[in-house]
Amino acid sequence: MSSKRCLIIDDSPTIRKVVRRILQDLPFEVEEAENGEIGLARCDLRMPNVILLDWNMPVMNGIEFLRSLRSRAGGDSPAVIFCTTESDVEHIREAIEGGANEYIIKPFDAEMLRSKLSPMITM
Amino acid sequence: MYLEGLTDARSLADAVIATLVQYEIPATPDNYALWYEYHAGHNPDLRRTIDVIVSNGGGFSEGTLHDLYISFFSSVKEEQAVRETSLRVQETLRDVIGIANRARADADQFGATLGGIALADFDNNVNALRELTEHLVREAQAMAGRSRYVGARIRESSDKIEALERNLASALRDATKDGLTGLSNRKSFDTAIRKLAGEAMNSGEDLALLIIDIDHFKAVNDTWGHQVGDAVLCQVATTLEQAVRGEDHAARYGGEEFAILLPRTNATAALAVGENLRHAISRATPQPNLTPLMNPITISVGASCYEPGDPLTEWVGRSDAALYRAKREGRNRVQFA
Repeated sequence: MSSKRCLIIDDSPTIRKVVRRILQDLPFEVEEAENGEIGLARCDLRMPNVILLDWNMPVMNGIEFLRSLRSRAGGDSPAVIFCTTESDVEHIREAIEGGANEYIIKPFDAEMLRSKLSPMITM
Repeated sequence: MYLEGLTDARSLADAVIATLVQYEIPATPDNYALWYEYHAGHNPDLRRTIDVIVSNGGGFSEGTLHDLYISFFSSVKEEQAVRETSLRVQETLRDVIGIANRARADADQFGATLGGIALADFDNNVNALRELTEHLVREAQAMAGRSRYVGARIRESSDKIEALERNLASALRDATKDGLTGLSNRKSFDTAIRKLAGEAMNSGEDLALLIIDIDHFKAVNDTWGHQVGDAVLCQVATTLEQAVRGEDHAARYGGEEFAILLPRTNATAALAVGENLRHAISRATPQPNLTPLMNPITISVGASCYEPGDPLTEWVGRSDAALYRAKREGRNRVQFA
């Protein structure tokens, strides 16, 4: 199976490290960005297959990134999974309406992340 | 579009009630409408939002349910949907009432048949009597069959209503405090551990968990009675609450077990806090209503730190294992895992 490309956009080094560790056993090539703006630049260079997206970040937050991504050429192809501590209805609804495919509330564990990612491995 | 037909409406209603019971949601009209929409499936965003909450293991607190209702049922278009929903619910009710009425009609008809027997002249007319008897038996069987069906439906409904009433009662109790000690309860602890672990995962800061058990508590209860046992629980709770910082979260975890979440606390500091608590408990002066003959109250403590990416249950399990080791090694001590 050819490996998929996964972009982690999160300002927390801890999250990026944990996700990298969890993705080790999965066929994913991992890239990192510490805010939405850097994430967009990476997407413009090459669209990833999956994006794990934090909500609260400096410079450009997750929902701004998502709207901007979905409105650009080829931006509808990556599966976007929000990974955030925001757990209220309004945030979840906004993410879904903004075009998120999945939504994970932090703290997450390996099994949770794998269960959300596994349908995307076979995409 | 809405599913048409009474059977569909009824199976939807059953699904809604089953969900309310499953997630311990009070059966208010708003909640009913919300879950009716969910099961009817014509609002994909509502469905996906609820699925996100379910798949993340979050429960449906009063606040969450209120937010869902406000978010999805506030516009004019959605008010229309609510009206249509309640129309379907009314139809379902009419259907059930119909079943009950048919049962009454059966009983009336049976009564009329009995009346016919009373009035009939059976002199020398064995055939007429036999005919009537056979008719009577058929009627009785038909009625018994339908009564059983109605009876089963009513029993089923009353079971469901009872379960819903239990939900409502538990929702009305103070949702966050333990009734006896006034500390946070288990439900509140479960919310706090998710929130604090999420923050620790983001910030990379330490987060420790202490699980505390009162030593030989069963003996206290057995020897001095439950009132003394309850007084001990309250005293320990007060001591723990006074000993921790404002940002810490102390809760009654169950029975004679307490749990304390300590943000920005590493392994060394967690052990020190555990030791402080152990001393504070053994120093605490017994209250006047505690008998002077009682052995001093001591606690055993199990501590561990959160590892981002580990399941929360595994983390709690490590504190539990440490507590078990503290007990096994003679109680009145602190262990770390």
